[in-house]
Amino acid sequence: MLVKSERIELNKRRTKTAGWIEKFGVYIMILVLLILGTLISNKFLTIDNLANVVHAVALLGIVAVGVTFVTYSGHFADMSVPGIIALSGMVAVDMLRYGLVVSLASGLVTGLMVGLINAFVVGKLRANPIIWTLAVAFVINGVVRWLYRGEQIYPDLKAGEKLATAFVNLARINIGGAVPITVVVFLVMVIIGQLLLTKTKFGVQLKLIGSSYEVARMTGVNVTGMVGLAFILSALAASIGGILLTSLVKIGAYYNGVGYDFRAVTAIVLGGVSLAGGKGNMIGVLGGVVVIGLLNNILTLLGVGTFSQTIVQGLVFILVVWFNTYSLRKLGKADG
Amino acid sequence: MGKKITGVLLVVLMAALLLLLFGCGGKQTQPSPGSQTGQGEKKSSNLEESIKAEGKVAQLKSDDGQPLLPPLEKKEVPPRPADPSKLPEDDAMHWYDMEYSGWGVTKVNIPQSPKDGAKGKKVILIVHGDHPWTTAYIRGAKKVADAYGMELKVMSPNWNPDVQAQMVDQAIGARPDMILMIPVDAKMSVQLFRKINQAGIPVIASNTHPESEAMKYVIAWTGPDDWGQFRMLARKFAELMHYEGGYAIIQHNPGGSPFFARTYAPITELKKIAPKMELLDKQAPGFEAEKTMQVVSDWLTRFGNKLKGIILSDDSAQAIGAVEAIKNANRQDIILVAAGNSKVGMDLVKEGKLQAITYQTAEGDGAAAVKAAADWFNGHDVEPVRYLPMHIITKDDVDKFMPAQW
Repeated sequence: MLVKSERIELNKRRTKTAGWIEKFGVYIMILVLLILGTLISNKFLTIDNLANVVHAVALLGIVAVGVTFVTYSGHFADMSVPGIIALSGMVAVDMLRYGLVVSLASGLVTGLMVGLINAFVVGKLRANPIIWTLAVAFVINGVVRWLYRGEQIYPDLKAGEKLATAFVNLARINIGGAVPITVVVFLVMVIIGQLLLTKTKFGVQLKLIGSSYEVARMTGVNVTGMVGLAFILSALAASIGGILLTSLVKIGAYYNGVGYDFRAVTAIVLGGVSLAGGKGNMIGVLGGVVVIGLLNNILTLLGVGTFSQTIVQGLVFILVVWFNTYSLRKLGKADG
Repeated sequence: MGKKITGVLLVVLMAALLLLLFGCGGKQTQPSPGSQTGQGEKKSSNLEESIKAEGKVAQLKSDDGQPLLPPLEKKEVPPRPADPSKLPEDDAMHWYDMEYSGWGVTKVNIPQSPKDGAKGKKVILIVHGDHPWTTAYIRGAKKVADAYGMELKVMSPNWNPDVQAQMVDQAIGARPDMILMIPVDAKMSVQLFRKINQAGIPVIASNTHPESEAMKYVIAWTGPDDWGQFRMLARKFAELMHYEGGYAIIQHNPGGSPFFARTYAPITELKKIAPKMELLDKQAPGFEAEKTMQVVSDWLTRFGNKLKGIILSDDSAQAIGAVEAIKNANRQDIILVAAGNSKVGMDLVKEGKLQAITYQTAEGDGAAAVKAAADWFNGHDVEPVRYLPMHIITKDDVDKFMPAQW
């Protein structure tokens, strides 16, 4: 029979292990996937293949970094990101006639304006973040269709060959001739995001808000401002992703960005960020994004069909959410 | 008290409105004596004017400068096998009921044409969802409707089959002279077409194929012969591949008829004409460039030099993704062919990154549906299936199809 002090010690160890798994579990998954991939194909563990995997998920990663701030603040997710991606891309294409700088700035400002609205309504008016941002996504979708009469817009038809080439080449730039710009932007954003979360007052306060909104408010934290800033950062990341996606597909269209909300949340949760807020980090999100890429890569290398791939991805997501909820219950804090 | 007064006022207002409506209806259903002759004359002059408009309609052009209503494509229909489902999937006859959907169907409760002309007819067009392609489709439909003087109202359920079902109820309630519909869901649309048919409203199906059961209830189906078009594309693909080598297919979204046509038309055709060509894999990553890029990159890793060609179900985002993956892997030897002639696709053909695409006139598709409706009102024979013309666009003739319709 265990004595009380031994039991406390055991519980402490269990909590410590659960915390460690939560923080770095995604890298265990990456390790398992890397071993699995190496066993499946001798071409798996090559620079080319792994670079392709990261390249394919870099845009998703950019968006996920932004949404992480919202999730970390205990506001679940920003469902308006598909709308922001589409809108900022279309505005960038539309404004391209005034030059590349104006085009990029307009795209970013448009995204930021949506972020400001979200910040005010969720931060100040305390609207339900999911319902509100979902509604914003619908409104943006409708407005974009109305503005452009349901048509997609092309950089070359809007601004001529020279500016269009500059715009569509944006997402095709390789830094140092080898690393795609989307990957570089993603990694830079992960670093900045990690610094913001761990080394600044904003990060500390966001953690407190995510852990307990009321406690944060009562201790004098500017909760409205901090939550608002989380939504603004999310919108900024989505508009960067939107401009790069539009540049990649060479089309400004209202359907660009569809599905990015759910995929970003998947990556975030895989990366160990708690849906209840206050837990996780950007290094984990980087891992979550890479897991999505590796999983797709391995399943295709195995010759698994699209339908089965979707099932596997869904099952992995369920497993991670279950673990997330389980560990929160252990800590006496359920999601929601 | 105030609420009660407002409530009473509202009820009185509604009652007055109903009386007014019934009053109008009553007037409409009681023709004055002698008006029969007048109506007969009106009917014949309307028909004359509508038939006269056919010349104008034939001259219409789509935005790419091509005739809006080019001569329709004829298709040979072989006899149906006893049980197509028992045949293997790589046998063309396995897909008989899909490929020849609409042919040899016994029609049920099809209304007789009033033969009083298309002019002034109220037609409701229910599309499948919003997309730049649909915008071009509607543009084509409107061009023909305007030329005939028809009143065309468009509804879009935004890819939601349940919303489409609600829209069908709404459309039936509006009592139009005809309903045109692009089914969102092939299976679910059977009951929608049946419902319209039972309401006594003539209906024409367009663009995507509903299940063959639905064809009983429609006057006709108009649209692209996706199966024929993809067999044609497969023949061009085989020629470009020198009839050998491994290939893979990026499929359309599962559920609709293009998913099957754009997968199994090339598989069955290539098996017949190029037995040395081997299908390595097929995947449906949707219409996202990054997802397609990842699938194609993965294929290049998995199959290496065995992979010589890829068939794509879309020449826009899917084509961009495939081209990027090929460029990243430095595998410019890979042959790429795709469905559709969007601006992105045609630009890629011009650049030599995409070797062949199908001519899929979106405007012509919408125009063909309205033309079939007009022909029916004008008393012409309407074939049960009307196929749009087929053509494969390559670098040699891509300029003829510019500017793109969408």
